[in-house]
Formats: sequence, structure tokens, C-alpha cells
Amino acid sequence: MSIDIVAFIADAIKMSTPLVFAALAALMTRQAGMFNMGVEGMILCSALGAVTGAHYLGNVWAGVACGILTGLLTGFVIAFAHLSGKTDLYLTCIAFNLAATGGTVFIMYLLTGEKSTTSGAFRSYQIPNINIPIIKDIPILGRIISGQSLLTYVAVFCVWFVWFLLKRTRVGLRIRSVGENPKAAESVGISVKKIGYIAFLFCGLFAGLSGTFLSMSWVTFFMKNMVNGRGYIGLSAQNMANGNPVGSALVSLLFGATSSLSLTLKSQSNFPTEFLEMIPYLATIIAIVFTSLYSIHRKRKIEQGIK
Amino acid sequence: MTEKEKKTVVETSGTAQKDPRRTDAMRKTQRIEAIMEIVRIVAGMAIAYIVALLILVAISDDPVFIVKQFILGPFSSPRRIGSIVNLAVPFTLCGLSMCFMYAVNKFNLIGESIFMLSGCIITWVALAIGQNMPAIILIPLLLIVGAIVGAVLSFIPAIMDRKLNANVVVVSLMLNSVIAQLAIYILRYYMKDPGISFIGSYELPKQIQFATLFGKMRIGAGVIIALIAVVIVSIIFFKTAFGWKMRIVGSNPKFATAVGLSTLGISFAAQLAGGALAGVAGATEIMNSYKRFQWTASTGHGFDGLLVAVLAKKNPVLVPIGALFLAYVRIGADVVNTSGDIPYEFISVIQGIIILLVAAESFLSGFKNRLIYRSVQADKAKKSA
Amino acid sequence: MAEEVLRMQGITKIYPNGFMANRNITFGIGQNEIHALVGENGAGKTTLMKILFGMEDCQEGKIFINGKEEKIANPLDAIAKGVGMVHQHFMLLPSLSVAENVTLGVEPMKNGLFDYNTAVKETQEIADKYNFKVDATAKVSTLSVGQMQKVEILKALIKGAKILILDEPTAVLTPQETEELFEQLFKLRDSGVSVIFISHKLEEVMRICSKVTVLRRGECMGTYDTKDLDESKISRLMVGRDVILKIEKEDPQPKEAILEIKDLHRYNSFGKAVIDGVSFTVHSGEVVGIAGVEGNGQSELSEVLAGLSEFASGDVILNGKSIKGLSVRQIRDNGMAYIAEDRMVEGVSGDMSIEMNIMADRFTKPNYKTGLFVDAKKIRKETEELIQEFEILCDGPEQPVRMLSGGNIQKVVVAREFTSGANFILANQPTRGIDVGTAEMIRKTIVRKSREEGTCTILISADLNEVLECSDRLLVMRKGKVVAAFPKANEVSEDTLGEYMLGLKSMTPEQMEGLL
Repeated sequence: MSIDIVAFIADAIKMSTPLVFAALAALMTRQAGMFNMGVEGMILCSALGAVTGAHYLGNVWAGVACGILTGLLTGFVIAFAHLSGKTDLYLTCIAFNLAATGGTVFIMYLLTGEKSTTSGAFRSYQIPNINIPIIKDIPILGRIISGQSLLTYVAVFCVWFVWFLLKRTRVGLRIRSVGENPKAAESVGISVKKIGYIAFLFCGLFAGLSGTFLSMSWVTFFMKNMVNGRGYIGLSAQNMANGNPVGSALVSLLFGATSSLSLTLKSQSNFPTEFLEMIPYLATIIAIVFTSLYSIHRKRKIEQGIK
Repeated sequence: MTEKEKKTVVETSGTAQKDPRRTDAMRKTQRIEAIMEIVRIVAGMAIAYIVALLILVAISDDPVFIVKQFILGPFSSPRRIGSIVNLAVPFTLCGLSMCFMYAVNKFNLIGESIFMLSGCIITWVALAIGQNMPAIILIPLLLIVGAIVGAVLSFIPAIMDRKLNANVVVVSLMLNSVIAQLAIYILRYYMKDPGISFIGSYELPKQIQFATLFGKMRIGAGVIIALIAVVIVSIIFFKTAFGWKMRIVGSNPKFATAVGLSTLGISFAAQLAGGALAGVAGATEIMNSYKRFQWTASTGHGFDGLLVAVLAKKNPVLVPIGALFLAYVRIGADVVNTSGDIPYEFISVIQGIIILLVAAESFLSGFKNRLIYRSVQADKAKKSA
Repeated sequence: MAEEVLRMQGITKIYPNGFMANRNITFGIGQNEIHALVGENGAGKTTLMKILFGMEDCQEGKIFINGKEEKIANPLDAIAKGVGMVHQHFMLLPSLSVAENVTLGVEPMKNGLFDYNTAVKETQEIADKYNFKVDATAKVSTLSVGQMQKVEILKALIKGAKILILDEPTAVLTPQETEELFEQLFKLRDSGVSVIFISHKLEEVMRICSKVTVLRRGECMGTYDTKDLDESKISRLMVGRDVILKIEKEDPQPKEAILEIKDLHRYNSFGKAVIDGVSFTVHSGEVVGIAGVEGNGQSELSEVLAGLSEFASGDVILNGKSIKGLSVRQIRDNGMAYIAEDRMVEGVSGDMSIEMNIMADRFTKPNYKTGLFVDAKKIRKETEELIQEFEILCDGPEQPVRMLSGGNIQKVVVAREFTSGANFILANQPTRGIDVGTAEMIRKTIVRKSREEGTCTILISADLNEVLECSDRLLVMRKGKVVAAFPKANEVSEDTLGEYMLGLKSMTPEQMEGLL
């Protein structure tokens, strides 16, 4: 078997795009002090929203808009249940993800009469890949950096945008203040609820982009349960990076590489596919083990007075 | 001051006097809280049920027929009633399993894949050694095997929670994806029956395919296992020291630590117990409702268990009621799925709504506070009169 | 009389658990006035002020500001109407700078972005105006408690507060810092700010306030000119009887050492030493008080002694056995009882019954169990006896603890800790925020147990009166170290104590020799 390293890296970048978006989505709510597992379901809904919008409005950009809108809407739903309904956030998210898994199939069936994929019933639209002039002609780098989906470049921009938003803008300062000490924020008249909603809407924006990438760039149709844990993986990625946008993106890239590895091996070897399917999830668990061990070790060292 | 005088000071101070602000009103408040808790659950289920009906009416060509099917369909034949009870068996067991997790406030969702792998492993064991073993030995043996599978699997997220402080929800969900693949692998490579048209194992030994209890209703013997489990778990929760410990840890872990309970150890043990029970659930389900192991995807029972535990408010005694309600709604969905054009999946939306409404603190809280306020006011008026 | 800037009329507040915190309270304050709001802990002062600041809603009552009726739904409303509040527990963001903390909520903007430089400038301007010495660019986590309080006041002033609520501002300050605060309050008053000063330190009230409103058990006992009152009159209004500040007790007869702390070190997660070489011994039959400004290592020390956290080096010997590496259970079995600083966090589980709370430390022991099962009959009987003995006002052993009042909740805590059979009692703020009667019962029981049963006690308290009166020996902690030790607590003056707490003075190891 032979593995094309360049194709593998290009693929890894592609596979990590939805993870980067997912990580940014989770990061926004985390900065406001909320651990949002609902990202998984939000991405799933957005993926369906995107293909549906594109099909009925007959335009790829309308699809993107619908994907983002769906993300915002689902973010609002979770925020409403948690912030206005005062429901435990874990429970809210688990309930939401359950409803999203079945609900997307339900809606897909109502629209297409199909229960597993929209590929037959909906026209497929693809977000264009961008060839960057000059760079595309550089031998190896060109094949990696150029020719990716537009949304991949958007993801890079979003990493910078989130950093800027948190550090340099008023709403960013407020989101961080709510995350650090909600009572303090409340006492100066900042509405914790309102900031929570804003954080969830940003989360929805990125979840929407993640879902849109999955159903209009990675493949060009919606498929039952197509997110397949990517929301959770993104959530873990930003957790490992301690809520730092750049760090989250790098960890996501690493996880993207494991997905790419799993895919490459599937086509190149006759190893039982079940084990290859496990790779991204096992990688996440192992990464969690190591980052936890590291942070525990460091904490213990500091507390023993060894600097 | 003499010793005696000192003593008098203590006794006449504020402590011994009745505080005028808290009297009967407190007692009434407690009662109102208890009643409202039940009202909230019932109202939550009712609203979700109404939403379900509205969805049916909105999308069906023949709404009257479909709604009637949804409500009455599950009771339309003895066999369907039996199906409700049979479906409630795994829901009860998984609900009890989640009660353990939820009691110590760990949303450890590993039960989802334990259910599947336990079913897979006990099938393998039964096929390997059980062909000529009498049921009286084989059934308990398989239940124990299931419990061991469950305890071993839930050990992974539980130990990561205990030693590494890793997020147990994320870890258990990731593990679910891994374990589900493992179960499929075992099925495909070690016990697939080539003689059938779908992917499934060889047929289980006849003696462990649970016989029916009530002829026409076709209720399997799994009901007995579920009921025994309810009794045992209830006793553990309310009568044993371990149950007390779990409830204290769940309601305030810092307090539990401060009074000398091993918070980490107890929540670890509770997660293992919950895992074992999920294993029993998987084993029971295979024997109760199947002839062979044929699951090629995760079954969702772990999440159903969480739903039941939420409905039952972590109280094992109420778990069968929650399980029966869920089973009734599911069979209703099944009936409209087969007799109309409504996909079964719409029920998952309804389930989400139920969890949210039952768990939402502010749902009906305004109403509750008004009731309490009124009772305090009435109390005040009575006193001044 | 000065014009009335604020009137609260007929305020009634009932909490969702049925507790009536305020009953038909009416009071008003004038311009250029420092107005005291006094009452025992739990009299409803904080609740009333939270209503004014929009953090709580009330069922009945009206609020008039400058004669106009106003609805205050949230802090934003309150701030817009010129009300500012400095909370008892600071509401600060330690990881941000002073300027960011002060301007949070009214951030200066440039080109749609947060303008940090202007924020610093504005903060410095207003600080200079009122003579507050703080560095606007410093990180809040590096400030002292007194400086943090200034940041809190600046937060209110920058938003244009005309009515400033200070909730027990001096509780965490040293006497010297308190003086500085008073100077600043006078300055504020003269520049047209009305101050509501919540306190239960009557001498402070008499000194700086022109009017006093007294609350007792959620009811208003009236508003008075301070010149018409004296301290004992106010205290009678507050509690309906003369407060007995002195605790009569025989001299201690310390016997064998029970607890020995040897060169203890502990570091926090930033690597900073929070306990820095503490050594002292407590003997059977004596109460050792630990005074100090909050946040100088007392809480960390009590966590270590209670087995709730590890320590880096040194040792703690309890009844001849090191507690290093022992679990809380093992330390408790070795004779420790613990009254936690925050009772709702570590003292009780609010949702559980009184019975489970009182029995929480002992139901696992063999004599409360029959096999795997708890001995329900015995547990019920003992709970009922303890409810009787400690006069816990409740509906029965099965009532959830959260439905009780603060004082009765604390009685649940002490009913457990005083009867656990321990010979070392670790009492951290045992009477904070509870009624005088219960506080007195707890203090007397601590002293009685040491005299009659020979228990050894560590009493950590921010209430100077309490540590001075209850303790036999007194230690002062500052920056994680013991900086002073006095053989007789009731002979120490508050001023002397303040100098050591603030770090103006400290004793050398030689001076403290024999007292540790």
C-alpha cells in the first residue's frame, strides 16, 4: 500500500475544517462560562438546513445562509431553555442532541420521503474550492494550501476573528467577564442572560458554518447522523486548548489528521473497517487522558511549591 | 453572673422563642413544593403529548384517524399492550441504571454502548457454552456476564472522572462510538450466521428465549427481572448506607467530603453499579425480545434510560411509571408509523421536549411562587385577625 | 432637613421558600447624608438593599427617587437611576485590570472597539478626584483587600452614583483601613452623594452617620437621629434586649497537647505560598483564636486541618498521629470536628432532610447499621433527641434543611459537630450571619466543652469581638504566617490587634516563644 503524504495532509486540513468551526462554537459559550455539548446537534441541524435551503432557493449561497440561520436558531433554542427556562445545561444539550438526531430524519422524511439521505431527492450544491494564484503553482505547498473549500479559508479567518472579538471588543470583554464571575458582571448592570444569548448566537454562527461545510463541501447532501461526534471532538479540542482560539484550531487540525488517517487506511488496506472507524474517537480519548495527566501533574508541582 | 443566670440568658434568647416569620407557612410551603413537583412532571408530559398530537394533525392527511391511532392504538390489541410492557422492560432497567449515574450527578452515558456490547457478549457466551445448559443456570450466568461487561466498560469513564477529572460526558460519548464498532466487529467476524439474509448471529439456545408469561399479550419473563431490579435498587437507594451516601454526594459533594464521605469513591462506585445494571438490561433485552443478536447500530437505550430517570426524578420507585409512559408513547408512534405516513422519528422531538419541560426549573415556577406567596399572606391575615 | 433623595415605602419580600425577609418596611434618606441601616445578621438589611439595587424583586412596596416613583427591575435600572452598591463580597474580576473592572458596563469606545487607554484615564481621574490611591493599570488579583474595596466604590462612582450603598464595608478592613474609608465617605458626602451604610458595628455608626434606621427580624423599628441615641439604645432596638458582649468563663487549664502544627506550608495554583511556615500547638481544655484580615491563610489552614486539602510540607499531628495523607473520614475518626466557614456549601446539604444532615458523619459507622442497612429507628430517635437538645425550630426530622432560617441551619451543623465525640473542634466563622441567640449558644457551648470535656478548639473568626471574648490564647495571621500571639485574648485591644492584622507591627519568633 502506498500513501500520498501530500494528499493526506490536504485531506487532514479538509477534515479538520468542521472541527475548527465546532471548536470555535464551543469556545464562544465556554468563554461565557457554559459547557455546551449541544454543538453536536446544532451542527447536525445546520447541515440539513443548508442543503434544504440550497435546494428550495436554488442557490449555493442561499444554502450557506440557511445553514447559518439554522445554527443561530438552534443556538437560540438551547439558550432559551437554559437561560430563560433555567434547565440544567447538560440535560438541555443531551435532550437537544437526541431531538436533533431524530428530528432531522423526521424533517428529511417529510421533505423527501427518504430516511437516510437527501442525495437522491435534493439537487446537490457545492461550495466552490478556491485556487489561490501563485501559491497553487508552488509544488507541494500549492496542493496543500490552495484548492481547499472556501469555508476552510473562512475558518482560518474565524480563528483570528474570535481572538479579536474576545480581546479587543466590548462584547468580548463582557463575555469574558460573565464567564469569569457572573455576579460581578451582573452587579455592574451587565445582563448575564443577554451576554449568554449573544455567546450562544456566536456559537450558532460557527456551528452553522460547520454544518454547512459538512453537507455542502465535504459531501453535497445530508445524511442521517452525519456529524458523527464531530461536535464533541471540537468541544474536547477547545477544552484541551483552554479556550484559546489558535490552540483550539491546532488541536482540531490534529484530530482532523486522525480522521484523514482513518479514511486513507480504509481505502488502502483491508484492515477491519470497524477498527478504523474507531480511530478519531480513540484519538480524542487518548488526547483527553494526556492533557488531563499533564495539567494534574503541573498543578501538583505548583502546589508542592516547586516552580 | 452566676451559673444559673447564665443558663437563663441562653434559654430566653432568640433561639427558644418561636420566630414569628416562620410557622405554619413553612409547612404549607413544603407541601406546595411537593405538589408542584408532581404537577410539573405531569404538565410537562401533557404538553409534550399535545405537541405530538399537533404535529400529527399538521402533517397527516387523515388527522382524526392518526390521532386516534396514536392515543388508542397502543391499547387496541392484547398484543400491543404486551408490547408496551415488553418495551418498558429495557426502559426500566436502563432508567434504574441512569438513576445511579444521575444520583451522583454524573451524566455518564456509557450505558448506551454497554447495552449493545452486553447483548453481543452474552449472545457469544450463550452460543459458545450454553447449548445444553439448563435455563436455570444459564440465565443467571448470562445476567452476571452482562453485569460484568457493564461494570468493566463503565470503569473506563468512571476512572477517568475519578483520577483525571476528565469530562465524563464527552469521554462516555466518545467511548460509545468505539464500543459500538467493537460490538459490530464481534458480530461480523465471530458469530454471523451466513444462513440468514441480514447481519445477525446464530440463533440463541431455545431455553433462554424467554417464554411468554400471559399468552396473548406475549409478555416475556423479562418483566420479572425488571421488577426485581426495581425492588433491589429502591432498597439500595433508601435503606442502605451506600444509598444514603450516594444521595448525599449527589445533592452536595462538598458537604459530603467535609463530613468524611469519600465523594470520588462513592460516585465511582455508583457509576460502576449503573454500568452493571445497563449490562443486565442489554442481556435481558436480548433474551426477552430477540432470537439472535442483530444490532448493527447503537440502540439509543442509554439515552432512553436518562429520559426515564429524569421523569422519575432519580427516584427508582417511580422508574417503572416513567418507563411505561415512554413505552406507551413509543408504541403509539410505532402504530402511526405502520398505519399511516408518519415516520417513527418524530417521537424523538417529543422526548426532547419532555426532558426540557420536566427539568426546566422556571417552568411553572412563577405559578408556584404565587401559590406560596398567597399561602404566606393568608397565614399573616389569619394571625392579625 | 435636607431634601429626601430616596424613599422606600412598604417593602415586603417573601422568598420562594416562604421566608418573609422584609415586612412592610418604610424608610427614607436625605441628600448629603450618611445613613446607617443596622440590624442583626439576618434582619433583612441586605435583602432590602438588593431590592433597591434591582437584584431581588419584592411582592409589595414602592421606591421613590427624588420624589418620583421608580420601578427598578435590575441593576442596570438602578445604576441608570443613580444607585450604586458595594457588595459585602467583592464583585471583581481578578484576571482583569483595575481600569477594566471599573469601566465594565460603561466601557469607553473608539471606532466601535473597547478603548483601554481612555478607560485607564477615566479611572485615574475619578480616583484622583476622591483621593483614592489605586493604580488603574494594576491587575485586581494583585491588590490588597482595602484596595479592592476602593475599586468597588470607583465602579459605582464612575457610573454616576448619587446614592451609594455600602454593605458591611468595614467587615474585611483593618482599623486603619477603616479610618481611610471613613475619610473618603465624608468627602463623598460633601460632594453630594448620599451613603447608605450597612453595619452592625455600632460605634462606627455613631461616629459617621447622622441618621439610623433599625431593622429587626424583617421589620423596621424606625429611623432616628444618631444624636438622640447611644449604642445601647440602638442595640436594644436591634435585638430587643441588651447584648451581652462579655462571655463569663473560668481561666483555662490547658493539659496535654492535642493538635500540633509544625512548619506547615501550602501553595495555591499560582504557586504562591498561602500557608507559609505556620507552627503552633493547641492543648486540651483551651480555645485558640485566630484573627486576621480575611484571605490571609485562615481558610487555607482550616481546609488543611479538616483534611479537605493537601499541604506541601511540614506536618500536622492530631492526637499523636500525623494527618498527612489521611482521608477526612480517618481524621474525623481521630477526633476532629469541623464547623465549616460557609454552611450552605460544606456545612449542610440544603435539599436533604435534617435527619440525613445531622447523621451524615456517623450513619456509616457500625453502631448505626444493621448489616448493609442503616438502622432507621435508632437514627430517627437520635435525630429527634438532637433537635430537642439544640432547639432546632423545624417541622420534624424529614424537613429539608434549606427551609430553615440561617440560625437553625447552623444549629443543625453544630448538633452534628458538637456531638460527634471529637476532642478537637475546628470552628471557622461559626456564628457568621446568624441571630444573636444562636450565636451566643454556639460560643458558650464552645467554651463549656473546653472547660468541662477538655476539648481543644481552634476558633477562626472575622468578628473581632468573638475571637477576643471566646478565645483563651489568640494568634494573628497575616500573609500565611502567624505574626502575633497573645496569652490572654480578652486583654488585647482592638487597636493593637488591628496593627498586627494590617502588618504595621509583627512579633519576632522570640517574642512569641512559648505562646505558639
